[in-house]
Amino acid sequence: MKKVMLEGNFAAAEAMRLARIGVVSAYPITPQSPIAEVLSEYTGDGRLDAKYIRVESEHTAMSVAIGAQLTGVRTGTATSSVGLALMFEMLGVAAGLRLPIVMPVVNRALVSPWSLWCDHQDSMAARDTGWMQLYAEDCQDVLDLCLIAYRAAENGDVLVPTMVCMDGFFLSHMSQAVYVPSQQDVDDFLPPYQAKNLKLDIADPMFVNNLIPPTEFMEMRYQQHTGFSNALPVLNTAMKEFETQFGRSHSPIEPYCCDDAEAILISLGSMSGSVKEMVDQYRAQGKKVGNLKIVSFRPFPEEDLVAAIPRGARVGVLDRSMSMGAPAGPVCNDVRSAISNQGLNVRIQGFVVGLGGRDVRPVAITSAFDRLLAGQYDKDVQWLDMSDNAMTLRQYREAI
Amino acid sequence: MIQIKIYGLGGQGVVTAAKVLCEAVAIHEDAHAQAIPAYGHERRGAPVYADAVISRDPIKMKGFVYAPDYVVLFDDSVIDKGIDVMAGTSEQTVFIVNTQKLKDKYPFKSNKIYRVDAQAVALKSLGRDIPNTAMLGALAGAGIVGIEAVKAAITSKFGDSAPKNVEAAEEARRLIRADEKAEPNKDIDTNTKNHAAFVK
Repeated sequence: MKKVMLEGNFAAAEAMRLARIGVVSAYPITPQSPIAEVLSEYTGDGRLDAKYIRVESEHTAMSVAIGAQLTGVRTGTATSSVGLALMFEMLGVAAGLRLPIVMPVVNRALVSPWSLWCDHQDSMAARDTGWMQLYAEDCQDVLDLCLIAYRAAENGDVLVPTMVCMDGFFLSHMSQAVYVPSQQDVDDFLPPYQAKNLKLDIADPMFVNNLIPPTEFMEMRYQQHTGFSNALPVLNTAMKEFETQFGRSHSPIEPYCCDDAEAILISLGSMSGSVKEMVDQYRAQGKKVGNLKIVSFRPFPEEDLVAAIPRGARVGVLDRSMSMGAPAGPVCNDVRSAISNQGLNVRIQGFVVGLGGRDVRPVAITSAFDRLLAGQYDKDVQWLDMSDNAMTLRQYREAI
Repeated sequence: MIQIKIYGLGGQGVVTAAKVLCEAVAIHEDAHAQAIPAYGHERRGAPVYADAVISRDPIKMKGFVYAPDYVVLFDDSVIDKGIDVMAGTSEQTVFIVNTQKLKDKYPFKSNKIYRVDAQAVALKSLGRDIPNTAMLGALAGAGIVGIEAVKAAITSKFGDSAPKNVEAAEEARRLIRADEKAEPNKDIDTNTKNHAAFVK
């Protein structure tokens, strides 16, 4: 294991190299492009023994990955934003074929307006496509979660493709020291890929992904649902095995100072680090606040999440996307559902922060904590750290 | 934890400098560092900035720097181009400026200022006006990071052009001055553990 400076994109590419992906089909898009570029370098100079297939779109990138993985090889692709949107149809195909493709998703806002920068709308829009979704807090997480994802996704009881999500620019282009494991250690953790469901074989041809009548469709979907039901314990086990092998611990949810907390902010991704920093500052003033980071958004670790919230604590959720027309952002909606499903009656304040590359600044986090500590609750989702001109910005005519 | 904001112009190596500084601290001084570049619609000659955070302890914050302990100006013309180099600063914020001499237009005259003619150093060492490695030497001269760590990080990052860039860093470290009248400080402590990130 050596310590090297890596940006998040490169940490993902290192994990894919160490997992010995045999086929790469990636279409470059900001801010994912460095992954596509460095995998091309690796295949070119022999550091990665893989075939790099150039494609004309993300739809084809995922199609090629599916076809390649069906022949019994790990495949590599990655994308962002509208690239993920263009893949949408094929995301469902990969999931339905039970192909455990692991794909880094570099989170970037969706149109419109155009933005190159981070929020979670792209992966949240794809949350029901049948892929697991893990969210990284830092560049080490990116590498670790990719390796964990291969191990969990390829388990015969799971067979669910997995997105490893990292915040565009905040992680994809942030330089940090990352421990990169040796090939030998990764080989011990990830044995050679074996197709466990379907395998394309010219000696034994078959149809895949064909038309299914109503008499069978629900059962096929239920199989996917069962894969997800199995995924959470398998993911937990994979994380523990990872810790044994590499010495770093991970968990589907990570509570920080929650045990005695009077106010807790739930978050995903890199903003969780910023929330923890503010937790430290509040604790130094004697204010009991905490952070609950969701690493695995799909499968959703409902029981552990609810168990990590102490009785009486006020809870808010920081969503880096919005489910337009819903009561709150997608993470908040799921947290409310989990709380209710576990038989508790706790009001969960929804917040929207950090869209289109806006930093989740300390001022946003403190305003959320201060609202919770003051006992303020609003059933409407609260958009934080917004300019005063929100309703007049770029308006070309007066509102009717 | 030390928070640093580097302002300059596209093409001066601002983003690279932040990365090399962080590599020096995180790899060669075995502390913690993260470089957070602000990518946008860049073009050569336009104002750019990059943030770096260095610390003895792991760094939790994952956003930009809003209250810099150090502001580094690779080119003071960013002030003329409307960049508010005072944003988030306090009386304690230290400025490190690539300039021959202090100018009346500087809005930070009451702050502690280090200056070094990194342009001249770069032209002499590299034959090109790319001041980033000279400014990295200046950061060592100002006590933010050890010069040996800076040299090691430059060596690993710059390949064939590393020796010239190491020379630029060493020269700028030697020439940096804390005020107009001071002589170059030849006795700067190069012991890692005495640098700012480790004592604060």
